[in-house]
Amino acid sequence: MSNQASNSTATPMIEFIGINKFYGSLPALVDINAEVKKGEVVVVCGPSGSGKSTLIRTVNRLEEIQSGVLRFDGQNVHAKISSLAMNHLRSRIGFVFQSFNLFPHLSVLDNVMLSPVKVNGIKRSKAREIALQLLDRVGLSSKAQNYPAQLSGGQQQRVAIARALAMEPPAMLFDEPTSALDPEMVGEVLAVMRGLARDGMTMMCVTHEMNFARDVADRVWFMDAGRLLESASPSAFFGSPQHPRAQRFLSDLRAR
Amino acid sequence: MTLLFNMIGIVSDNWLLLLVGQFPNGPLGGIAATLILSILGIALAFPLSVAMALARLSPWPVLRWPATALVYVVRGVPLLLIILWVYFLLPLLIGESVPGFVTMLATLVIYEGAFLSEIVRAGITALPRGQMDAARALGHSHLGAMRYVILPQALFNMIPSIISQFVSTIKETTLGYIINVPELTFAAGQINNRLLTKPFEVYFILAIIYFVVCWTLTKLASTLERRIAVRRARSMDGAAAPALAAASRT
Ligand SMILES: Nc1ncnc2c1ncn2[C@@H]1O[C@H](COP(=O)(O)OP(=O)(O)OP(=O)(O)O)[C@@H](O)[C@H]1O
Ligand SMILES: [Mg+2]
Repeated sequence: MSNQASNSTATPMIEFIGINKFYGSLPALVDINAEVKKGEVVVVCGPSGSGKSTLIRTVNRLEEIQSGVLRFDGQNVHAKISSLAMNHLRSRIGFVFQSFNLFPHLSVLDNVMLSPVKVNGIKRSKAREIALQLLDRVGLSSKAQNYPAQLSGGQQQRVAIARALAMEPPAMLFDEPTSALDPEMVGEVLAVMRGLARDGMTMMCVTHEMNFARDVADRVWFMDAGRLLESASPSAFFGSPQHPRAQRFLSDLRAR
Repeated sequence: MTLLFNMIGIVSDNWLLLLVGQFPNGPLGGIAATLILSILGIALAFPLSVAMALARLSPWPVLRWPATALVYVVRGVPLLLIILWVYFLLPLLIGESVPGFVTMLATLVIYEGAFLSEIVRAGITALPRGQMDAARALGHSHLGAMRYVILPQALFNMIPSIISQFVSTIKETTLGYIINVPELTFAAGQINNRLLTKPFEVYFILAIIYFVVCWTLTKLASTLERRIAVRRARSMDGAAAPALAAASRT
């Protein structure tokens, strides 16, 4: 299911150039150089604490960096920009969290409608129409009037995806979107993500769902101790991982 | 037994004074004034406290600094002193004499504003960090995230604490006594001065009245607290949510 866009002429959507990040004296990201091309699906994997969340959160500047340049769709994310420009940039980067982070005081429909209305200034009637379409796309139009607490984890995560899509982002970031789910709910969320990939969405997914990576990803990035140790096609990464840490990681994963 | 009879006698002779003071022949007093003072105090302190909490949590030091200073000063100074400051300063500032009721109200707004702002701040910081992250990731400004995502949840969760603060306020209005604010304690003082021989009975009645009002409100607060805790547990984010949601469906 590899995308056309992964050929080398495609323009980059996300560029990491010499990114370094520290938490105090702890190096969380060490000289990251990589790019996600338009239409590409990149899966980021690596052991716990390797810096995957930190990396993906630097893309929409939920985390600051200490050095390097990070471009999203050509725009320098960590430059000195006005907070207005920063908010606008963030609104164009879909982000899905491990813990869903739906707004519990709002209905499912209002969760999806809130930002198009309040951030983009879209009319409520129009936003409602779009929101209902998106909820239909993730298979949850019947839950529009429910509150997040009345939904299963898998349903909540699908609403979270619809909420991110409502801002019509050119790219979507996923930070372990299925790790908080009961096993029987993982499939429904991955199915939505597969659909997005099929429609050509640029995606950067931190996940340990190796079947998803094999089927959907154009590239797999392997991180360890803040470094990006390997970037390979899924077949190369799963068939013959180069780095010893990657080999150990994969054998640990299979042993589980 | 005679004590009880005496007390019933005092109440039946003076119930109107205890209820509304010398109203309508004089200023409104008694329980009515106490409650109005407390309600107005909290109601006016509330928007101030939200603004102060937002200032203290804001990314801008220009706002953080003065709000933090005010909170520290108010928390570190006895209420009685603030009453005296306002009592002597407010007339100087506005150039005319100020009724005791207004002095006490202004004091309560400052004092309760500072304490409530700490409650609001705690309510905001108690929310999972993911709520702010999600709002910012969707493109909301800091203030937009506060307004549409954080404050509606934080303020709801804080309702019991606000009621508790209201109870404290009711008790604090008694200090208005020293600047002759005609409220409940003042009314009791008047009765005591008139009877001269029954201070124990009079102040026992006073204690019972405060106790009944405050106890009822405290009870209400703890009932609400339980309900809100249940709701909060159900709407909790993260890994526990699926299990809890499943449990609540059955
Ligand atoms: N806010 C923080 N303050 C200090 N250290 C942090 C902070 N967030 C993360 N770290 C540290 O940075 C390193 C990378 O963390 P990160 O969350 O990016 O790892 P991860 O690969 O996402 O791990 P996991 O698979 O457990 O989610 C870890 O050592 C972690 O302890
Ligand atoms: Mg992580």
